[in-house]
Amino acid sequence: MTEHPMITIEGARKVFDVSSPWLERVLSGQPPQYLVAVDDVSLTIGKGKTFALVGESGSGKSTVARMVTGLLPATQGRFEIDGHNLDTKHGYPRALRRRMQMIFQDPYASLDPRWRVGDIIAEPMRAFDLVPSRHEEQLRVGQLLTMVGLDPADAVKFPHQFSGGQRQRIAIARALASDADVLVCDEPTSALDVSVQAQILNLMKRLQKELGLTLLFISHNLAVVRFMADVVGVMYLGRLVETADVETLFSAPRHPYTKMLLDAVPDLAMTGRKRQPVQGEIPNPINPPSGCTFHPRCPLAQDVCKEKTPVLKNGVACHLADEPVASSKA
Amino acid sequence: MSVPVLEIRNLHVDFKTRHGVLHALNGISFSIARGEVLGVVGESGAGKSLTGSAIIGLLEPPGHIAGGEIYLNGARIDGLDFESMRHIRGKKIGTIFQDPLTSLDPLFRVGEQLIETIRTHLPLDEKQARARAISLLADVGIPAPEKRIDAYPHEFSGGMRQRVVIALALAAEPDLVIADEPTTALDVSVQAQIIEVLKKLCRERGTAVMLITHDMGVIAETADRVAVMYAGRVAEIGPVRSVVQHPQHPYAQGLMGSIPPLDQHPSQLQQIEGSMPRLSAIPKGCAFHPRCPLVIDACHQTQPELRASGESFAACIRAGEAA
Repeated sequence: MTEHPMITIEGARKVFDVSSPWLERVLSGQPPQYLVAVDDVSLTIGKGKTFALVGESGSGKSTVARMVTGLLPATQGRFEIDGHNLDTKHGYPRALRRRMQMIFQDPYASLDPRWRVGDIIAEPMRAFDLVPSRHEEQLRVGQLLTMVGLDPADAVKFPHQFSGGQRQRIAIARALASDADVLVCDEPTSALDVSVQAQILNLMKRLQKELGLTLLFISHNLAVVRFMADVVGVMYLGRLVETADVETLFSAPRHPYTKMLLDAVPDLAMTGRKRQPVQGEIPNPINPPSGCTFHPRCPLAQDVCKEKTPVLKNGVACHLADEPVASSKA
Repeated sequence: MSVPVLEIRNLHVDFKTRHGVLHALNGISFSIARGEVLGVVGESGAGKSLTGSAIIGLLEPPGHIAGGEIYLNGARIDGLDFESMRHIRGKKIGTIFQDPLTSLDPLFRVGEQLIETIRTHLPLDEKQARARAISLLADVGIPAPEKRIDAYPHEFSGGMRQRVVIALALAAEPDLVIADEPTTALDVSVQAQIIEVLKKLCRERGTAVMLITHDMGVIAETADRVAVMYAGRVAEIGPVRSVVQHPQHPYAQGLMGSIPPLDQHPSQLQQIEGSMPRLSAIPKGCAFHPRCPLVIDACHQTQPELRASGESFAACIRAGEAA
């Protein structure tokens, strides 16, 4: 295969300075404090594919998304979109920014309440000089609205006249307005009811097929990920602990954390399976555990886990990933 | 049969507005027995939380109970004056809300809040109340409770805070706990822990629980019976297994179908077309008829009552027919 992937991330790292103000620090003699939000994350996303990042709050999913889109400068790492190297420190060239758009979690916050829907959707076209005239702009807005299942006449309305699901449709139309081919979706359905979620997920899948979109899809909802993704990456405390294609991950998870996450999902089928009680909570990222950061919660943890940080190898970052599972007595 | 802990008969809640009266709850009836967990599901605006507020007498004006009766242990509690209701809240009915940060006062140590609640409702002195608070914190699974009791809410993580809120709700050994989206703000792994704690404690104490949530997974694992609400009415009510696996009402069927399954990989999710009507424009007849795949002429005319269908009760004249 000679074709390069749509998105390549290599060794992405983001460190936030969370120190107290300088004077306070000097007076009380505290050292500066850093929070490593994302550490050594590498992944590739093929054209037209969906890569889903899952993990609990604080695992660094959104930080990865914001680095990819250039909203946040990366501390380290190489980002490549469709073969173009990106400089995340100094902002992306306009041509690349046009191709990458984001959909956010809360459609009540991501649409300006004082703008008409038509203007909201037309903004990316205006910003990138994509339409020569007002008339064409209106036509295009109408097309986009139809594409996401709304009425072209909705363009004159304001966001407050729409329900949550309809607003998320507007956000999708806006993301598509600049002919983007990569959509970064940060929990796009978490704020929606399940029946509305089904509508939006179906819509996104249909548009992806029709337009050949590549998606970086972030969610904490494993059922949603299972439905949307081709490849899944599981994050824990800023690191990728496992990546696999969606079928493999759900049928044969290898990292103990992935197993725990899958086990924690409430079971609709009520097979009465005995769940392994989940241990503990995600630790404070300012002061993460040594070695494998998952070891305090891990049922398999051994001495080596406290000392050495495992690297992602063959899709899993665990010293004991290929140990027989039966050795853990529940 | 003994008297149910909570019984609601034909409850109506109205909002008077400038544009006329809005009927937010439109004849809700159900009961919860001792030790039973009733799950209440439905989309935003279906009236789930409103039912909870009506029970504890905390409807925000202009909302008010326009009809029907609410019984707690056989005694009528709707229409009680504020003072009598205050004694029931906390003592007889405990509440757990979605966001643990807003239900705890950030300026007081969790111990002070627990002790205040305990002493308001139980005849204990400061020392006994403190001992009880510590044992409550231990019950909800907070490690080293004798130390943590003097911590402030911000020193707890989200999951631990929700445990404290559960301890608060159970402080006076209530007969009924109303849990309104208790795990929605939490991560899945923590969510499972919280459900486990809630389930265990209520089973041990025989507390009746009304569990309001939009997460069918949580209901499936926790509830004994489920009520599915739509536009201010109960669309279907029945044993959890039958409602989840063999829903009778077309809305319940659509709701179950729209949940992405964990064990398969469908190319498309079943979806209910359209969205829930606004309160000001609830359709005549069956409120679900504009979105219903089984709609017939009669649905436009009459509002169907709950009737037996399969193992549950559904408010639909075509209940039980496959979509």
